[in-house]
Amino acid sequence: MTLSLSVVLAVSALMFGLGVYGALTQRNAIRVLMCIELVLNSVNINLVAFSRYVGPDQALGQVFTVFVMTVAAAEAAVGLAIILMVARRKAHIDIDQINLLKW
Amino acid sequence: MTVTDWVFLAVAAVTLFSAYRVVVSRKIMHAALWLGLTFFGVAGIFLLLGADFLAAAQVLVYVGAVTTIIIFGIMLSTPEELRGPSPEAGSDAASSAAPTRRSFLPLVTAIGFAAVMVALVNRGEWPSPPGSVSTDTPRLLGEALFTRFVIPFEVASVVLLVALVGAIALALKEESGQ
Repeated sequence: MTLSLSVVLAVSALMFGLGVYGALTQRNAIRVLMCIELVLNSVNINLVAFSRYVGPDQALGQVFTVFVMTVAAAEAAVGLAIILMVARRKAHIDIDQINLLKW
Repeated sequence: MTVTDWVFLAVAAVTLFSAYRVVVSRKIMHAALWLGLTFFGVAGIFLLLGADFLAAAQVLVYVGAVTTIIIFGIMLSTPEELRGPSPEAGSDAASSAAPTRRSFLPLVTAIGFAAVMVALVNRGEWPSPPGSVSTDTPRLLGEALFTRFVIPFEVASVVLLVALVGAIALALKEESGQ
């Protein structure tokens, strides 16, 4: 296996950029959540790649990826519950118009 | 270029294209399905990097659970966007209901970050891949999780439990909650 680490890291960086762009531009709250999932996945690729290339006999990066997956699942569940509440009260989930806490 | 390289490039291309479609798809349901394909691609990348347990967990957790819960959220909350933009909407409503914010700053941020990262990655001195890798990552992962990282592991399970109970409590109907 001669796959070079820099190619994997470049793919992860591109995916991170896509996720950040989506999270900053989308106005639908569910889409913002999806783009955050993209960002978390690109970080997971980074962790697994470093775990494979730097310390393959310890799998520490993979342990960290397990924790990222746990937190991502919790974030998706709580985020969608909040979005459901907002949708029930305001009949839309446009994050530009959800400004109750705005000064 | 070995076979592994070509397979990795193909999987990475599919992953990046579907991630791009997540961002630009007009219908949110299509975006959710492209997100599922992106998760599958990431699982393929995990497999190519030798993390077979994580690839299985990725398919189970992300493709099986997160995509499903997002599709549930879409179906429960946004009926009008699910059908796509209605053609008879007025021009003022159309301008205010544009799906994205048109501004150059997010583009500059995203492209700038990706460009800087790719440039740094290309300049860096990276370790060459080790020749032999132990193939029993589930054993390595389990030993690390239950000996050295047992406290974070328990904390993560408590976080998951609290998040699930909190999600149920948040999504309960108001009438039954009072």
